[in-house]
Amino acid sequence: MAELFHRKLERTAIGFVVAIIAAASVGGIVEIAPLFTIHTTVEEAPDMRVYTPLELAGRNIYIREGCYACHSQMIRTLRDEVERYGPYSLAVESKYDRPMLWGSKRTGPDLARVGGKYSDFWHVAHLNNPRDVVPESNMPAYRFLARTALDTGDLQRHLRAQQALGVPYTDAMIANAASDAFGQAAPDSPFAAGVTERYGEKTQVSAFDGVVTQLTEMDALVAYLQVLGRLTDAAYSNTAAPEQAPDPTN
Amino acid sequence: MDIDHDTLVGFAKSWGLFYFIAFSVCVMIYAFWPSNRKKFDDAKRNILDRDDRPWQ
Amino acid sequence: MVQQLTSGERQNALIILLCVFVAGLAMAAAGGSDPLGMHGVIVMLFGASLGALVMRSYYDRQPDPDRLSHYYDDPIKAGVALTLAWAIFGMFMGVWTAAQLAWPDLSFDAGWSTFGRLRPTHTTGVIFGFGGNALIATSFHVVQRTSRARLAGQVSPWFVLLGFNLFCILAVTGYFMGVTQSKEYAEAEWYADLWLVVVWVTYFVLFLRTIARRKEPHIYVANWYYMAFIVVVAILHIVNNLALPISFGQAKSYTIWAGVQDSMVQWWYGHNAVAFFLTAGFLAMLYYYLPVRAQRPIFSYRLSILSFWGITFFYMWAGSHHLHYTALPHWVQNLGMTFSVMLLVPSWASAGNALLTLNGAWHRVRDDATLRFIFVAAVFYGLSTFEGSFMAIRPVNALSHYTDWTVGHVHAGALGWVAFITFGSIYTLVPSLWKRERMYSPALVEVHFWLAVAGTLIYVFSMWNSGILQGLMWRTYTQEGTLAYSFLDSLVAMYPYYIARACGGLLFLLGAIVAAYNIWMTVRAVPASAAERQSDVPDTGLAPGAAATPAE
Ligand code: HEM
Ligand code: HEM
Repeated sequence: MAELFHRKLERTAIGFVVAIIAAASVGGIVEIAPLFTIHTTVEEAPDMRVYTPLELAGRNIYIREGCYACHSQMIRTLRDEVERYGPYSLAVESKYDRPMLWGSKRTGPDLARVGGKYSDFWHVAHLNNPRDVVPESNMPAYRFLARTALDTGDLQRHLRAQQALGVPYTDAMIANAASDAFGQAAPDSPFAAGVTERYGEKTQVSAFDGVVTQLTEMDALVAYLQVLGRLTDAAYSNTAAPEQAPDPTN
Repeated sequence: MDIDHDTLVGFAKSWGLFYFIAFSVCVMIYAFWPSNRKKFDDAKRNILDRDDRPWQ
Repeated sequence: MVQQLTSGERQNALIILLCVFVAGLAMAAAGGSDPLGMHGVIVMLFGASLGALVMRSYYDRQPDPDRLSHYYDDPIKAGVALTLAWAIFGMFMGVWTAAQLAWPDLSFDAGWSTFGRLRPTHTTGVIFGFGGNALIATSFHVVQRTSRARLAGQVSPWFVLLGFNLFCILAVTGYFMGVTQSKEYAEAEWYADLWLVVVWVTYFVLFLRTIARRKEPHIYVANWYYMAFIVVVAILHIVNNLALPISFGQAKSYTIWAGVQDSMVQWWYGHNAVAFFLTAGFLAMLYYYLPVRAQRPIFSYRLSILSFWGITFFYMWAGSHHLHYTALPHWVQNLGMTFSVMLLVPSWASAGNALLTLNGAWHRVRDDATLRFIFVAAVFYGLSTFEGSFMAIRPVNALSHYTDWTVGHVHAGALGWVAFITFGSIYTLVPSLWKRERMYSPALVEVHFWLAVAGTLIYVFSMWNSGILQGLMWRTYTQEGTLAYSFLDSLVAMYPYYIARACGGLLFLLGAIVAAYNIWMTVRAVPASAAERQSDVPDTGLAPGAAATPAE
């Protein structure tokens, strides 16, 4: 019976294709489908905020430059990792990440909780030439970031696409995307207040690359690096981690 | 969704296992069915034929 | 090549190329200064230059009506040439990135040449450019010979081959400009992904129709593997790349998957890209070119059937071993681990089947470097699948993950298995395609073999060493219970290995260049026995990339 069935399948090549799909698709369905109900069992993080337009732009630069090829953003549930990098990463912490940037290789250290670990000044010096601050480093120099103006013209479109996919950006956030990007890197400007109003008091507003007159890609990338691990405190309350939450006002 | 996570996980695991067993039984039967033997033997020898034209 | 097409087919080719050109024009207009606009220009150039090629021979003589009673080999010849070109490009980028990790200033202070942008040009260049072209070319060869039927189309094989290369060009040029989705092995952006869907569906239909024409009653097992490769890659590609572009005039898009779901979808894709791109298709080569080269039937046909279904079934479960100890739920990690270990059974069944086929012909393996390429490929296939199953065990992965051990494993598979089986197949294929008695220089095949072996061993051993060292340094504690080494200590320890790896890679690259030279000379050489062969198949005396003379 089974033999007859199979022989027929094989004679019509189409049937054979169906058999391949039948064999191959189960694994994916079994493992992926339940992940869509995962929110019923994993931790909640009511304090979780979305990326500001400047941070999102920085994240896109991180993607564009391929930083994920050498840096992970996923602290595993292993003792040495928790001691080296901080509390292990929770699923909820990357729930707005499209795509996720967990990474698969650590040529450089993990960055999941690098936010607040170094000053803005250190980051700028490091990105300009890593060997100025870490002589043994093999990271490339990114001098051109400080020379390149950030394109804020299409930030609204970025936020709108994210909103369409279910990230809770409000219409006010979308409408003010460009001015919020500018304001976050210009603390004394009239645009700065809107940023904390829309994204919360804990949002870091500062002259990331030290120059407030021009918004550069360096501003965006440093803003993103400084928010890594600080969108929510969930990891600190849910785990028996030795660390304290980083001070958001440094 | 109203199906909760644990039901879905439970179903996925048990159903996947049964599917796997049924599937391997079918493949075994096919591979070892006596009358298929000749077909397989032909297949493995025929590719060594030296002819360089499609059959009409 | 155009001469093999009738005027109706030449017309169709021109219409398709015109559509490509118009699509490029639309992209250029909509994109403007966005990288999408740049890609539009590339697409236009691609369509226009191929269009010029067709036009040049448009009014040439019509092909011999007898052509349909021969195998269709022109696209295969072009595919072999493209395989070699991409091999040299991709491996050169590999050597360059390897050197950058040892000497970081080799990016010369420019944006396009930093490690992060170059790395995907290497992975895409070798996996899709080198591997993909080899798969398309050999699949066209194997399916015709084992079905004893000509390809079911005159223009569509060209569409598949060249369309696929357009995808590769868009992907690679995109990375230099910073266009990437950042999904490993699926970095190309939405418009290139859509294009690949069109190409892939054509490939699928072409392959299926050719099989449907077969004169042999049974579908030979190599075609099963090609079929699985085509079908499953289509599914993986579509699901993993679902994304929303921020506008139709811009390259940037956001994936519809977020966070944990994205991680699982990505590695379900990533691992099965390994399974169905880097394994299934190359196993197809093994099951055809190994018996043909050794002139011995495969040891056990039944075993090949069992391992086919084992591989098709098991691999899809294994993706989550890329996510051990992460925020992915535990039960998924455990499932992935279990199935990865079970995968060893069908994997070793295939490797064992290959080695047992050679049993009794060891003198040939000793004397024939081409057969030795295939033999080493089977050994490395066994080795890297064993290593993979081992690394999928959670406690082992705790050590290996994030380190160079993974990179060592990757290249044991990629160099030792994928590249070796490809070169073995090409050396078998080239003389028979171009009707030469043998390769131009068997001595150079021998040279290539030893360069490749040396390069692979140096590469893999240095990465095993550095990876395990790195993993151990990260988790070593002092007696006081604090971490013994800073991250920087572990980086400093890596430098000697990074230099060694770059040297090993250079040897491997030199081997590929030797292969390209040898093949070029084989093609140029005067056919050994043109006269006797004439009754067989028209001899076209073709050079890669050059136009064919009309069939007699
Ligand atoms: C000339 C030979 C080659 C050299 C020098 C080379 C070098 C490299 C380097 C330096 C990396 C980056 C590793 C890192 O991030 O630490 C890499 C990654 C990779 N290469 Fe190669 N490679 C070579 C050949 C190949 C071939 C032939 C293939 C495939 C058929 C291949 C597939 C890959 C893949 C898949 C990765 C990504 C690994 C991962 O994400 O873990 N490579 N290679
Ligand atoms: C039974 C077969 C195999 C199993 C179970 C297996 C398992 C694994 C495991 C556990 C990893 C490490 C994941 C991590 O820690 O990040 C890995 C990585 C990898 N393997 Fe395998 N492997 C197998 C065969 C192969 C073969 C034959 C190839 C290649 C040609 C290959 C190519 C790769 C690649 C490219 C990666 C790197 C992915 C990345 O991180 O970017 N594997 N594999």
